[in-house]
Amino acid sequence: MAPELERPDATELGNARRRIEQLVSDLPGGDPAERSFDQPWQIRAFAMAVAAYQERQFEWSEFQLSLISSIRDWEASGAREQDDPWSYYQHWVAALESVLSGSGLLSEAALDEQTKQVLALPPNRNHHGPHREPIAVDQAR
Amino acid sequence: MTDKIRSQEEIAARVKALESMLIEKGIMTTQAIDRLVEIYEHEVGPQLGAKVVAKAWADPEFRERLITDATTACKELGIGGLQGEDMVVVADTDTVHNVIVCTLCSCYPWPVLGLPPNWYKDPQYRAAITREPRTVLKETFKYWIPDSVEVRVWDSSSEMRYWVLPQRPEGTDGWTEEQLVELVTRDSMIGVGPTAAVA
Repeated sequence: MAPELERPDATELGNARRRIEQLVSDLPGGDPAERSFDQPWQIRAFAMAVAAYQERQFEWSEFQLSLISSIRDWEASGAREQDDPWSYYQHWVAALESVLSGSGLLSEAALDEQTKQVLALPPNRNHHGPHREPIAVDQAR
Repeated sequence: MTDKIRSQEEIAARVKALESMLIEKGIMTTQAIDRLVEIYEHEVGPQLGAKVVAKAWADPEFRERLITDATTACKELGIGGLQGEDMVVVADTDTVHNVIVCTLCSCYPWPVLGLPPNWYKDPQYRAAITREPRTVLKETFKYWIPDSVEVRVWDSSSEMRYWVLPQRPEGTDGWTEEQLVELVTRDSMIGVGPTAAVA
C-alpha cells in the first residue's frame, strides 16, 4: 500500500469506523483479520449488534460475555470441524440473540417462526430463473 | 442456537428475520444499520470488482474469459461467492451501454461489488430504470449517454447476476493494472456512472 494511504482516515466515516474499532477491539476475535466479512449476513449481523448497543439496548460488556460464552460452548463441545465448523459470526448472532432475549426484547420462538417464513418465501416465483435477455433497450437514435 | 448446525441459507434467513423484528419493535432503524454497514462496506466492497475490471483492461485474454464465464474468471483471482450464483459480465462498447438492476428485490453481484447501495434497492430506481433508462441516467445520475449509443438494462435474479465491464478510458496506454484499478468506480460497474477521470 502506498504510504499516503496509510495516514489515518480523518473523514467523518473514518472517525465513525475508529469509534467502532475501539468498541470491538477487546472482544474475542477483536483482531480485524478475524472480523472481515465474507457473507452479506455477517456484516448485517455485525451492524445490528452495534446499532442495538448504540440504542442502549444492552451494555457492551453483556454482549461481550455472551459472545465469549457462545464460543466457549462451541470449544467445549469438542467442535468437530466437519459437523459444526467454526463460524465467528454464528457466535456473534447467537450472542446478540442471547442478550436481546435475556432482556425480554426478543422471543426465540417468534424468531424461529419468522425465520421459517423468510425461508419459505422465495423472492418471487419467476425470480429463481436466469433472465437471459436485457429487460429494456433504449435504442440509439 | 448453537445446538444445531445451520446452512448459510438458514443463518442468512435468521439474520434477516432478526433484523425485521428489531426494526418492527422500534429497537433500531434500517438507516442506522445501513449507516454502520456503510462504515464497513469496503470489507466486501467494489474494490474486488475493480481489480477484475483492471485486469480485463490490461489482459485481452482474461477479458475474453471474463465475458465467456465471469464466475470462473473471477475465481482465477480468488474472487467468488459461496452461494454459487452465476455472474455474467456485460461489456460496454462504443455503441452499447449496459446498466444493471434487480426488478424484484436487490440481487446484486456482491462478491465483486459489495453490498448494494440503498438506491439500488429502491422501488423507484427499479421501476424507472426499466421504463426510461436513458432519462434516469441523465436526470437521476447526471450521466449522459450519447444518442448514438444503445442502452441495455439487465435484470439480475438470484440465479444470474449481471455486472458491467466499462470501457477502458482513453489516454491510459501503457498503464499498469495497479494504475488502472484506481479508475474503476462502483457506479461504472453498475452502469450508472463513468469511470474516474484520467489525471
